Amino acid sequence: MTQRHYTLSETLEAVSDLTAEQLERYVSSGVVVPVQSEQGPLFREIDLARLNLVVDLAEGYHLDDEALALVLSLIDQLHGLRGDMRAILDAVAREPAETRLRLKTAIREVRVVTR
Amino acid sequence: MADDPYKALGLNKNASQDDIKRAYRRIAKTDHPDLNSDPVAHDRFKAAAAAYELLRDPEQRARFDRGEIDASGQERQQRHYYREYAESDDNPYRQHQGFDDLSDVFSDLFGRGGGGGGGSWRGGAKSFDMRGPDQRFTLEIDFMTAARGGSTRITMPDGSVLDVKIPEGAHDGQVVRLRGRGGAGMGDGPPGDALLTMIVAEDPDWRRDGDDVETILPITIDEAVLGGKVEAETIDGPVMLTIPRGASSGQKLRLKGRGLRGEGGRRGDQHVILKIVMPSRIDAELEHFMEQWRRDHAYDPRGRR
Repeated sequence: MTQRHYTLSETLEAVSDLTAEQLERYVSSGVVVPVQSEQGPLFREIDLARLNLVVDLAEGYHLDDEALALVLSLIDQLHGLRGDMRAILDAVAREPAETRLRLKTAIREVRVVTR
Repeated sequence: MADDPYKALGLNKNASQDDIKRAYRRIAKTDHPDLNSDPVAHDRFKAAAAAYELLRDPEQRARFDRGEIDASGQERQQRHYYREYAESDDNPYRQHQGFDDLSDVFSDLFGRGGGGGGGSWRGGAKSFDMRGPDQRFTLEIDFMTAARGGSTRITMPDGSVLDVKIPEGAHDGQVVRLRGRGGAGMGDGPPGDALLTMIVAEDPDWRRDGDDVETILPITIDEAVLGGKVEAETIDGPVMLTIPRGASSGQKLRLKGRGLRGEGGRRGDQHVILKIVMPSRIDAELEHFMEQWRRDHAYDPRGRR
């Protein structure tokens, strides 16, 4: 709740190599979805980090908006799964040794033995 | 960061601004922490990003070349990578995916609903209609709008302006559904909905505790000593509040039913915390009176625990 919010101009200031036109395009195409408020769009830390990545991707790979949306969606899936995976691994690590061993055996059966 | 920002980019001092940009872009392509989880790549990217930040502005670069600033002094605050946010369970951008093959296990383990807003297929083999996707947004509203309800005007990403009705007693995380304002449907499918998750901005004057609210009411010393009626703000506007004789700072007065509209339709209470405020200047008369008074009536509010 008490999260820092950035206005349009603060965002342009904070993200290197991002122009106002690009930012407007990214907002209207839904690449970034800022918080709506009566004062206009407000960008969160996550939006800034996403914009930094967007600039790196768009410039590094010369991606057009459609390709950019695809890559971002894949990255979102990857990061989301990574987060889920980390949660599962943490949960497994908390289990007693015999449970972990049983899981290890089960994983080996499912993932390694079957083809 | 490496001592030599040029080295971090694999360049030497004669590099042009274009070379610098190109070198940074090349490293970002291979070593970006959002794309490559190798820690070595991470270190390379971090050094390159810091170097680029220092050298991308020709003026700043010239100052560095002249030795006026050093590399470490110019480091900006630690850059946050997208993955630090994107891995968290509430990443707002992680909404478009279904993972149909995994969703049973995942919704069981993580308590998530089924892969939201999927379209339904209808019609024959050749034509299909699909409902448009739901789109999620976050909407910030101020405390009073949330408490009283009302409407707030927002601009959607596509540029259209919408008046959103805020229900009375809206709370953080509550979702308003705008039917048909989401993504366009396919074929004859209807558009999806826009889902606005509300966050209530903090207000210095109003603290919220469930359905109860807490405010601070400044009173004068004479009001504290003698008691009296004082105007206090409530969500519904000002009311006259009776201050008891001999009131202390920190004392709470309860205004029943002046809080926020709760889920069951009942309103919470407002707690008014009194705060005695001294006059801006202690005049001779007050000082004299207090000296007299202390002589016969000294008391120790800290004495007993």
